[in-house]
Amino acid sequence: MVLVLAIGDLHIPHRAPDLPAKFKSMLVPGKIQHILCTGNLCIKEVHDYLKSLSPDLHITRGEYDEDVRNPENKTLTIGQFKLGLCHGHQIVPWGDLDSLAMLQRQLDVDILVTGHTHQFKAYKHEGGVVINPGSATGAYSSITYDVNPSFVLMDIDGLRVVVYVYELIDGEVKVDKIDFKKTATTQSAH
Amino acid sequence: MEDEAPGNGTGNAGAMGKKGVPEWLNSSLWASSSSPPASASTTAAACLFRSPPSPKPEAPKRAPIPEPGSPPSPKPEAPTRASIPEPPRPPQPPSEAPRPSVEAPPDDRSPSRLSQEEVSRQSQLLAELSKKVVNIGELRRLASQGIPDDTGIRSIVWKLLLGYLPYDREFWMQELAKKRSQYKAFKEEFLMNPSEMARRLEESAGHKNEELETGGRGFLMRSEITHDEHPLSLGKTSVWNQFFQETETIEQIERDVKRTHPDMQFFCGDSSLAKSNQEALRHILIIFAKLNPGIRYVQGMNELLAPLFYVFRNDPDQNNAAYAEADAFFCFVELLSGFRDNFCQKLDNSVVGIRSTISKLSELLKKHDGELWRHLEITTKVNPQFYAFRWITLLLTQEFNFVDSLHIWDALLSDPDGPQDTLLRVCCAMLILVRKRLLAGDFTSNLKLLQNYPQTNIDHLLYVANKLRGSSAG
Repeated sequence: MVLVLAIGDLHIPHRAPDLPAKFKSMLVPGKIQHILCTGNLCIKEVHDYLKSLSPDLHITRGEYDEDVRNPENKTLTIGQFKLGLCHGHQIVPWGDLDSLAMLQRQLDVDILVTGHTHQFKAYKHEGGVVINPGSATGAYSSITYDVNPSFVLMDIDGLRVVVYVYELIDGEVKVDKIDFKKTATTQSAH
Repeated sequence: MEDEAPGNGTGNAGAMGKKGVPEWLNSSLWASSSSPPASASTTAAACLFRSPPSPKPEAPKRAPIPEPGSPPSPKPEAPTRASIPEPPRPPQPPSEAPRPSVEAPPDDRSPSRLSQEEVSRQSQLLAELSKKVVNIGELRRLASQGIPDDTGIRSIVWKLLLGYLPYDREFWMQELAKKRSQYKAFKEEFLMNPSEMARRLEESAGHKNEELETGGRGFLMRSEITHDEHPLSLGKTSVWNQFFQETETIEQIERDVKRTHPDMQFFCGDSSLAKSNQEALRHILIIFAKLNPGIRYVQGMNELLAPLFYVFRNDPDQNNAAYAEADAFFCFVELLSGFRDNFCQKLDNSVVGIRSTISKLSELLKKHDGELWRHLEITTKVNPQFYAFRWITLLLTQEFNFVDSLHIWDALLSDPDGPQDTLLRVCCAMLILVRKRLLAGDFTSNLKLLQNYPQTNIDHLLYVANKLRGSSAG
């Protein structure tokens, strides 16, 4: 039972002052084992805050991040799953699922976590699953102002993943979940 | 004269052997031991030498024997010595008849490891255990003298004394089956993490989850969450929230289990045996903590559980040993039911709490040894809480080595006065046994002595504790 937080595109302080209070009250240390952050935090204070939630923090670089040392892509293995992380502004057209699928095949991962569009998405294709946690602060994106704050928590348990989607809609936290699993055979390399 | 005696002794024995052999010599007791039927006086003498020099309940019978260290004693003693064991012996043969086919462990070892008296105790215990309905009073009496190690008797006796097994043999099988399956149910209920719980719920509700490799593309279906059941939930009824709140207790349990008896291979180390034993201890303590939210887990409970689990796990009966975890759980619950109040912080100052128990010990000491009491409490101001706290809450497991503490537990569990009162008497005896050193010492040395109690002869300690019986203090 491994809890992995996927979060990103906070754009603090440029586009939003802070995480919504209801999100902050839920995100307490001690529960989450890993954090995958898509990028665009943008400042060190946010980095420190995320670090306090979990010791294992992975960030990829977004185009507005002040810390330029983060990589463009990252891959890691958690349990039986290979996860990939990328901010997504590099993939053109932005948010295009076929292009993201290409990146996923390149990175050879089961689950790809990307952001930039500030819209939650969970999409499945032959190569695996793409998850976009959206923007945790509800910051406006390059495409639209109509953004609901959202983030994703994945519960990886053996060969099964339960994805909990947390969205703030009209001031209330709404939680949905998505269930998927992979078969035990190794993924074929492309 | 020194040279004559042995020769004469053997000569006498030889003569005895050829003539009518005494009844007790023919008892199956001798036949079961693997040593060749030695001459009467030699065997008797040899056994007598091994008897511990300390006074025992059977001491009066041994009075006429010269001190064990002198084999070549005056020859007239030889026949007397040989006949001394007689009084306890004759009652043996008849009770041995119904001895069960449980192979008497003395078969496997040379008699030099067991003294005369231990062998007899063992066969008495076996006889008692083989009866259809165990006479609990008789069992208590026998057990309080000490249960022989390494024979597997202790496992059954403790289970009987703690009320886990019913007295009537007939019901053993069904009771055991019932309790063991109940434990299994507990494990399933309490040891699951929330992920698994959610998964089980899903499967029973018949939800199908998406398979990653089944090809095709599309957006993944979202489903609603019921009852706020998500990992970050702060709701009181949420299994996730409860899980995270219990992690602290569980971490504490894990830490303590890892530290239990670090010197014993059984409990500590890299072997798979140690790891599986630690797992078992952890399971038991977690389930206990969850079933008893009032008291949860307190440091020290692992020390009370360890001897129980050790004894049951080392039961030579493989079937029993396999279920040691379940048996130990219930016996632990039973044992703790008498001592729970010691672990509840809120009760510390109440009539049933640990402070009051310690003051009872103090009163007991005052009654039996006023001089020592005055010296300890008033002159040197050694507050009994400094040493007795650990003695009492951990039932003396930390004061003696493991084997000795098993012997003490034999006495504690079997005494009809109950473990609490017996414990106080044993503690008082511990103080009295070192009175010379205590009376001569000041605060520092006394405290040091009592917190690192020196190794003692346990039989002697229990004998003294026994003598303190009588009207209990206050």
